[in-house]
Amino acid sequence: MTAQVTEPPATAAPPLLAVAGVDVVLGHGWRATQVLTGVDLDIWPGEIVGLVGETGSGKTTLARTIVGLIRPRQGRIVFAGTEISGLRGGARRRERRSGHVQLVFQDPLRSLDPDLTVAEIVGEGLAIRGGLDARQISEKVDDALAKVGLEAALRDRVPGQISGGQRQRVSIARALAAGPRLLLCDEPVSALDASNRNYILRLLAGLRDSLNLPIVIISHDLSSLAGIADRVVVLYRGRIVEDGPVSQVFSAPRHPYTALLMASAPSVRGQGDRPLTVHHLRRTAADPPPPDSGTACVFADRCPFAIAACATQPPLTTVADRWTAACHRHQEWGELASKRPRHP
Amino acid sequence: MTGKPPRDEVLGLADLHVTVHEGAATAVRGVSLSVAAGEIVGLVGESGSGKTLTCRAALGVLPPGCAVGQGTISFERQDVTDLSRRGWERLHGTGMGAVFQDPASYLNPNLTVGSQLAEVLRVKQRLPRREARRRGIDLLAAVGLHRPDWVFHQIPGELSGGMLQRVMIAIAISCEPRLLIADEATTALDVTIQAEIIELLRDLRDQRGLAVLFVSHDLAVIRELCDRVIVFYAGEIVESGPVGEIIERPRHPYTQALLRVASVGDFRRRELQVIPGQPPQVGAGITGCRFAGRCPAAIEACRSGPVSLVPLSHVHQARCVRATDPELTAVPVTTAAATAEAEAAELAAR
Repeated sequence: MTAQVTEPPATAAPPLLAVAGVDVVLGHGWRATQVLTGVDLDIWPGEIVGLVGETGSGKTTLARTIVGLIRPRQGRIVFAGTEISGLRGGARRRERRSGHVQLVFQDPLRSLDPDLTVAEIVGEGLAIRGGLDARQISEKVDDALAKVGLEAALRDRVPGQISGGQRQRVSIARALAAGPRLLLCDEPVSALDASNRNYILRLLAGLRDSLNLPIVIISHDLSSLAGIADRVVVLYRGRIVEDGPVSQVFSAPRHPYTALLMASAPSVRGQGDRPLTVHHLRRTAADPPPPDSGTACVFADRCPFAIAACATQPPLTTVADRWTAACHRHQEWGELASKRPRHP
Repeated sequence: MTGKPPRDEVLGLADLHVTVHEGAATAVRGVSLSVAAGEIVGLVGESGSGKTLTCRAALGVLPPGCAVGQGTISFERQDVTDLSRRGWERLHGTGMGAVFQDPASYLNPNLTVGSQLAEVLRVKQRLPRREARRRGIDLLAAVGLHRPDWVFHQIPGELSGGMLQRVMIAIAISCEPRLLIADEATTALDVTIQAEIIELLRDLRDQRGLAVLFVSHDLAVIRELCDRVIVFYAGEIVESGPVGEIIERPRHPYTQALLRVASVGDFRRRELQVIPGQPPQVGAGITGCRFAGRCPAAIEACRSGPVSLVPLSHVHQARCVRATDPELTAVPVTTAAATAEAEAAELAAR
């Protein structure tokens, strides 16, 4: 189900979703915090994009901005040729109710109404959109539940009466019922055990294959993402620091933060056969102090390879075909890292 | 790490049974385990397998409606099964410490983390205010927090999840307990922070000879940290042994299944495996092996009567009638045929 690699999207075709130069500021006045800075992201039909980064890196904010729950301060979000970030009033409501872009929220226990039955949760959006009678909605609900492998017998249960894995599938069914052309999933597997995690990821890969549905999966578990994603996008403190095909990025990352994320991922095989461990990639007291300037690279204060040039934020530059990274030393740090001590 | 209870045993559970719903059902049955000083023992299993109840029984903090139905709990070779509430309170902090999944919910959001850390030292160790503050800052530094004197004066909302988990560990070890119980302590953290917390726990073991009981549903995390691993399924221990041996040569089909779904960490595209079926409900009347319904290698003998833990070596044991069957390990676990079979079984189970 997940073994085939999708054809690389023809770069000539326009992307389904184009996020360009998006800045997001949350809060007002002295509380205002810039959460996203200059984010550029294109999504093509039929690809699974893994969006990774640590807590507070802006992954969820980016997803919420794409679906229109947060308005960007700057930049454009263009979906299928229409700029959706600039829509106001009725046009905005029509776009949202069209169901083109759907977000599966983190933590289904909190995002699903505990008093509604599964059928009501999945059908609610369709009822609000209008144009369908009760029987048609019911059919669509059954169809959506079938797509996520939930039997119709669960229709009348409330979220408290089903397991965590089933709740996550209800969340996905709710999004699918709207007939989306783009699906965003915020940490769909972080609360699940390994078996359920793999089940959900396989389910998403299957939806991509059967519906040619592009899916953005937000996760901090790189290892399982590598099993199904075509592309990986790494966010660090509100900036994209690396974006490229999974197989290439994960075999030779060009940003030291991507490498640190990979080295930190636990493995049943242990760390023994890893080329780089966390100790190769963490700053130590022996490293020269990072450049101290307001415009320094976002990763400089954690980066053991920071030099004077890192006092300015590097732009995302193309390092290979369809592969970008934001690092001044993307060609050099790999060799420097392998010369550092393997143990503290 | 030998079969007989070591002389420096810190925690010992013998034939522990925990009943739930006011005794209506037994959720943990016949669990025997021991943790020695300087040893990190991992408990692994799906949600609902009884890992957390076992920990809470060992800490003397079972939730309402749950009770130890049978068996004994010993701490440093003293029977503490029927300890009074006051007795447990004396043990908490000074004898055993605990860290849980969600650090933010165990700290008072309105008080500085320093005051909460110092409070433990003042109550348990009877330290004067100034001394408690000094020790608190030392502890925050010991758990790897930079600028500990700044952290001391922050409220929980001003610290990140990883910092809060370090504060929780600082509180747990503040009165120099001999045992630390960590229940899913790294599950909610980012991978980079998780790796740091794992290192911290290992350092604490090395420096203080702390015994650690580490609970996780992720075999990959267990592999990184633990010396021994105990696999739980439906309230029973199904396999236990040194972590390397369990990973290399798992003998119980459930352990083999857990390994198939665990993170390999090679970042390659692969067929993601699932364990078909659902674990039995608590209180389900099963006479034979509790995993038989989901087991690809189940035979008639599995369902005919209770299965006991079979010693495979002096450190390795498995609860499987086919544990010594050479064919069992030959079951093709990762081939396409097995996957197709599993999928068919799963469709049937739904």
